[in-house]
Amino acid sequence: MKRTFGRLADWIDSRTGWRSVRAHVLDEPIPEGTGWWFTTGSVVLFLLGVQFASGVVLSFYYVPSSTSAYDSVRYVMEQVTFGRIVRGLHVFGASFIVIAAVVHMLRVVVSGSYKKPREVTWISGMLLLLVILAFALTGYLLPWDQRAYWATTVTINIARSGPFGEYVAGVLRGGPALGALTLLRWYAAHVFLLPAALFALTAAHLALMRRHGISGPVRPRPQPSQPFYPYHALKDSIVIAGVFALLLTMAVTIRAPLDAIADPTNASYVPRPEWYFMSLFQLLKYFPGPLEPVATIVIPGVVIGGLLALPFLDRRPDRHPRQRLAVMAAFAVLGAGVSGLTYLGMRDATASSRDDTQWNALAIAGQEFARDERCMKCHRAGGVANVLDETRMRKEPRWTLAHVRDPEVIAPGLRPAPAGGMSEAQAQSILSFMREVSGGDGTPAPSAQERTAALVLGRYCAMCHMIDGAGASTAPDLSSVGARHDAAWLRMWITDPESVDAFASMPAFGTTLTPEQLDAVVNYLAARK
Amino acid sequence: MGIVQDESGRRRFFARIVTTVHAAIAGTLGVVLGGAAVSSALGGKDESWLPATTLGDLPPGVPTPVVVGVTRRDGYTQVIDQRTVFLVRTGASNVTALDSTCTHLGCRVSWDREREELRCPCHGGVYDRTGAVKAGPPPAPLATIATRIDGGQVLVRL
Repeated sequence: MKRTFGRLADWIDSRTGWRSVRAHVLDEPIPEGTGWWFTTGSVVLFLLGVQFASGVVLSFYYVPSSTSAYDSVRYVMEQVTFGRIVRGLHVFGASFIVIAAVVHMLRVVVSGSYKKPREVTWISGMLLLLVILAFALTGYLLPWDQRAYWATTVTINIARSGPFGEYVAGVLRGGPALGALTLLRWYAAHVFLLPAALFALTAAHLALMRRHGISGPVRPRPQPSQPFYPYHALKDSIVIAGVFALLLTMAVTIRAPLDAIADPTNASYVPRPEWYFMSLFQLLKYFPGPLEPVATIVIPGVVIGGLLALPFLDRRPDRHPRQRLAVMAAFAVLGAGVSGLTYLGMRDATASSRDDTQWNALAIAGQEFARDERCMKCHRAGGVANVLDETRMRKEPRWTLAHVRDPEVIAPGLRPAPAGGMSEAQAQSILSFMREVSGGDGTPAPSAQERTAALVLGRYCAMCHMIDGAGASTAPDLSSVGARHDAAWLRMWITDPESVDAFASMPAFGTTLTPEQLDAVVNYLAARK
Repeated sequence: MGIVQDESGRRRFFARIVTTVHAAIAGTLGVVLGGAAVSSALGGKDESWLPATTLGDLPPGVPTPVVVGVTRRDGYTQVIDQRTVFLVRTGASNVTALDSTCTHLGCRVSWDREREELRCPCHGGVYDRTGAVKAGPPPAPLATIATRIDGGQVLVRL
């Protein structure tokens, strides 16, 4: 058997020359003293391979359509065996690649590996970093959830601040507004254009690396080189195994984020970029109005231009960091700037974020309203419509509101609709409930008083008021009403508004609400600061 | 500067570790990614009893086509398949159900009243009223579908 395989291998080698190719790859001479820091490029290459493989598997299930993308991602997360892990590998892998690529770049900077004759290798590496960031940007939109939609809205608006901004933004959108055409072209870029650029640049980068050889330690040693395989390959393999173990652990233990389905009408959503774009996002805050292009074009342009030009700015042959203090200082300032801005951006984001694990009050009320027999007539196990707890929001919010108000909207005359629709406030509550269900978070367990307050808000207050972005907007927003009024004032106002303000237009609820309901809603609103 | 050529046991030991590490990573990725890629193809079919018609609507001994709507999960969405089933009343309270899918290459058969046989329009497959092959290329009889009678209602398991 062994002889047969040997003869087969000989025959294939005689026809293809694969042994000489293998020898060329594995016997690459590695200078003596080349240490662990020289494994960073292999880590990037490995992570790119994981992204490619996991991306191919995701593409078996993903549908690049604004009506189906979200559901197809949910399907991967919830129905496909290991689907959650595969998406985790892809989502967290994106962050890993950005980190690994930046670490690799810093290694090249510190060891002066970009210097003559490796200028073009450096430039191809910088272009690869930009392609990796473009992958991250385009991939962010694909799940078509709230994060995706709003972060991309911001990205496209940033593009408007540059030269020919409106045209650039139009090309990025693909249509008059962010929608199905935008998703399709970002998907095409993510799976066709960028991979083509990535393959070409990676091939060029590796070919140039082989052409000029590994730069090795900053002070070359007199000992002879060693072949890459198995000596340096062992270091590569150990570091790659560690990185993969970490990535797999994250993919297994942490659920890759997926918000509620994209909803352009949801005013409560605060868009945030992925952490590696947070520094640019934060920079925008310091250059408002007409100065915006400074943050969006000038500073990033200078940084990228400076990085590309680095081998031509620092042309002396010295590679030791201590002999290149100006370059080291420039990168220290750049690193401190990016880190500081990222920290400030993350801090602001944390301070202003709503706790996503908590449902808003109207959603809690909506869950109760959805148990009404008018809904359960069709929306039950074995019924003619989906169970609401499992329903994805495939319809426009306005459709859902209209359907709750008048169920026959779904198919006039086709089947008897339950008599009596719900109020506008109840419809808003059910819409909030369905948004939370679509978000995929578990059902909350509110206290009895929270539940009572939620039902009052959902039945009465949401007729006119908005809270956490849901409800009507003809009266003041209640999201932080506790910061403006204390419990005593709220009690008087809800019981009899005219006792506080003779011209108040809000109806009195003193006789409508029970004492328990009044206590619950006053306590709930007073705590909203 | 030449390359050190070392064919010692150390080299073989290192090579073995490298191979082991890469095999472990490839194996893990293969299981996770391969499992995800094929899982949807390996899932079984959910079947349930669905009302097809009433016993009184079936003439004795004549295959009667009945269309049954079967709700099926299709990836991330749900679809309703319109399945045609031939119901043959074989007794006072006995009904046999035949799948309308030809066992040759999957075309739909239809009942020929004059010749009293089920015929496939694609390659001339012919079945009798019990679903047995009479002529043509079909390799097997038409598949039978489980039925039961519940208060005069004929239920089929699809």
